Amino acid sequence: MNLFESFVSATASLLGNKMRSVLTMLGIIIGISAVIMITSIGQGFQASINGQFSKMGSLGLEVGVKYDEDVTTADMLTLDDASLIVTHPNVENVSPLASMSGKARLKNPAETNNLYFMGTNENFKDVQGLDITEGRFLARQDVDNKAAAIIIDSTLARKLYGKTKATGQTLHATFSFGNVDFTVVGVYHTVDFGSSMFQMPTIAYIPVTTLQKIYGRDYLDNIYVNVKDRAAIERTALEISMLLSMRHGNEGKYNVSNLLQQLDSVNDVLGGITAFVSLVAAISLFVGGIGVMNIMLVTVTERTHEIGIRKSLGATDGNIRFQFLVEAVILAAIGGLIGIALGYCGGVALGGVIDVVPVVSAPTVAFTVIISSLVGIVFGVYPAGKAARLDPIEALRHE
Amino acid sequence: MTGGAESATGMIIEARRLSKTYRVGRYEVKALRDVDLSVGVGEFVAIMGASGSGKSTLMNIIGCLDSLTSGKYYLDGEDVSSITGNKLAAIRNKKIGFVFQSFNLLPKLTASKNVELPMVYAGEPAKRRGAAAREALAKVGLTDRGHHRPNELSGGQKQRVAIARALVNNPSILLADEPTGNLDSRSGEEIMEIFQSLNREGATIVMVTHEREIALHAGRIVTFRDGRIVSDERVDEPLRAGAPAGESGVGAL
Repeated sequence: MNLFESFVSATASLLGNKMRSVLTMLGIIIGISAVIMITSIGQGFQASINGQFSKMGSLGLEVGVKYDEDVTTADMLTLDDASLIVTHPNVENVSPLASMSGKARLKNPAETNNLYFMGTNENFKDVQGLDITEGRFLARQDVDNKAAAIIIDSTLARKLYGKTKATGQTLHATFSFGNVDFTVVGVYHTVDFGSSMFQMPTIAYIPVTTLQKIYGRDYLDNIYVNVKDRAAIERTALEISMLLSMRHGNEGKYNVSNLLQQLDSVNDVLGGITAFVSLVAAISLFVGGIGVMNIMLVTVTERTHEIGIRKSLGATDGNIRFQFLVEAVILAAIGGLIGIALGYCGGVALGGVIDVVPVVSAPTVAFTVIISSLVGIVFGVYPAGKAARLDPIEALRHE
Repeated sequence: MTGGAESATGMIIEARRLSKTYRVGRYEVKALRDVDLSVGVGEFVAIMGASGSGKSTLMNIIGCLDSLTSGKYYLDGEDVSSITGNKLAAIRNKKIGFVFQSFNLLPKLTASKNVELPMVYAGEPAKRRGAAAREALAKVGLTDRGHHRPNELSGGQKQRVAIARALVNNPSILLADEPTGNLDSRSGEEIMEIFQSLNREGATIVMVTHEREIALHAGRIVTFRDGRIVSDERVDEPLRAGAPAGESGVGAL
């Protein structure tokens, strides 16, 4: 009897006991569907997080003030701090960042659009990973000359000017401190973060010096640092923090965080959740496997007479063992496949609620089918062996 | 009809000082004691005896389902006394065709699938199996019953399917254990008719029965008591199955 025939005959025998087969599979179905559901959500979430981080551009260091300490104005970061950080040998370049909110006046003077102004320099384009579709990003001269240059996103450009080719246009901005007319020098592609969990305001980029002039303050929110040697990034972070403390004459008031590490820690948490769910699934698969073994033992007892007949007709122990093993494996593998389908449906349902697109990868499916088949083999070996060892005469006598 | 003794060119079964001892708790049960038995090619032998006389044990040993405690057993010239496991299964598969009292068909398989089973274990490809099963079913007069399941067949038909199954691998010997035990006398006659016809075509048959009427269809009757052969007689004029009762001589013995 070849593999295909064994498969057909085992399937026929399982179909002869549909209810029992389904109940037996239930443990495996639950285990597999739980793991598929959670891992599909986890992988989907991970993909979306990683995508967002990659959209945020190159990952270096983010320098900021620890606002939980009692911070005085003397501790605040300034452009001088940025100039100091650039002198560190492992620093490629820095981008200072200061921000304020304001409004852009639309064509209809009564209508405005809320804007978040970020003051920075030419290096920030790469930090943020901006996709400039029209014109250019900020240039060094803009910063040096405190130019009234502005880069807006394509959505706002369409709103203000009815087109994305908006370079050279004037943008009337209103702040609580007065009005400023900017010249649009560039348009960047509106970033779609793919998830409503990360609703971003419309951001416009202007030279940091211009912003400070409008704002009337020298302070920065953050300084972004690109390093030359990533391997030394942790040490560089520490040294930058020390440099700043020395200059300001304080201690431990600066946060220099590794953006890549933040991504790692998000991935770590997701990995932890996946590992935990896998453990639960493993336990459930074990229980499901015992269910398979239990039913296979019952089946062997019920079919003792059949085994006797088959042996009297020349079936070897191996033939009988294989027959029952195939049944156990099919039982477990079909349970696994149903589990994958149910788990994916569960993932889609859950993903709809928390706004994550579940991802079920081909390796996950293959791995799951292999694992559930292995469960069938491991828990089918004992019943199949028991069937194979039956004495033909006693088996024939068994009714 | 004189059985096949004259046409015998060799021995299918040669048992020498065959003994079988069972252990039941602390007791030993001697099911067979030093049995010598030879069955030639083309013979039709009936084995009689009360239950517990050892005839079923002998059938199991001849059929390679059971091992013997001591002695020698040659099947078709091959010493099978010490063969075990897969080799024994192969011998059951190729050299022996079993016919049981309770038919022992697999209820979920059709008649022809049942007939195919021994070929499945012989490793025959599916195409060849189907053709051979049809042929074997035709031989027992069930050409049109191949697609029926056992529960759709009468007792006599079931036993004919079982005979077709026993024949399908062209075994050296047909072993029948009370083949008419579960049948009415008419169906029993039909089975005997098939046996006699197979035997005329050269098949060697050993049949266990406790009914003398049935045994008299064979060419030779071996009687067992307490694990020993107590008589081994030739039936000079076996009952002709299908012929009106009383026509041929029971008194011939």
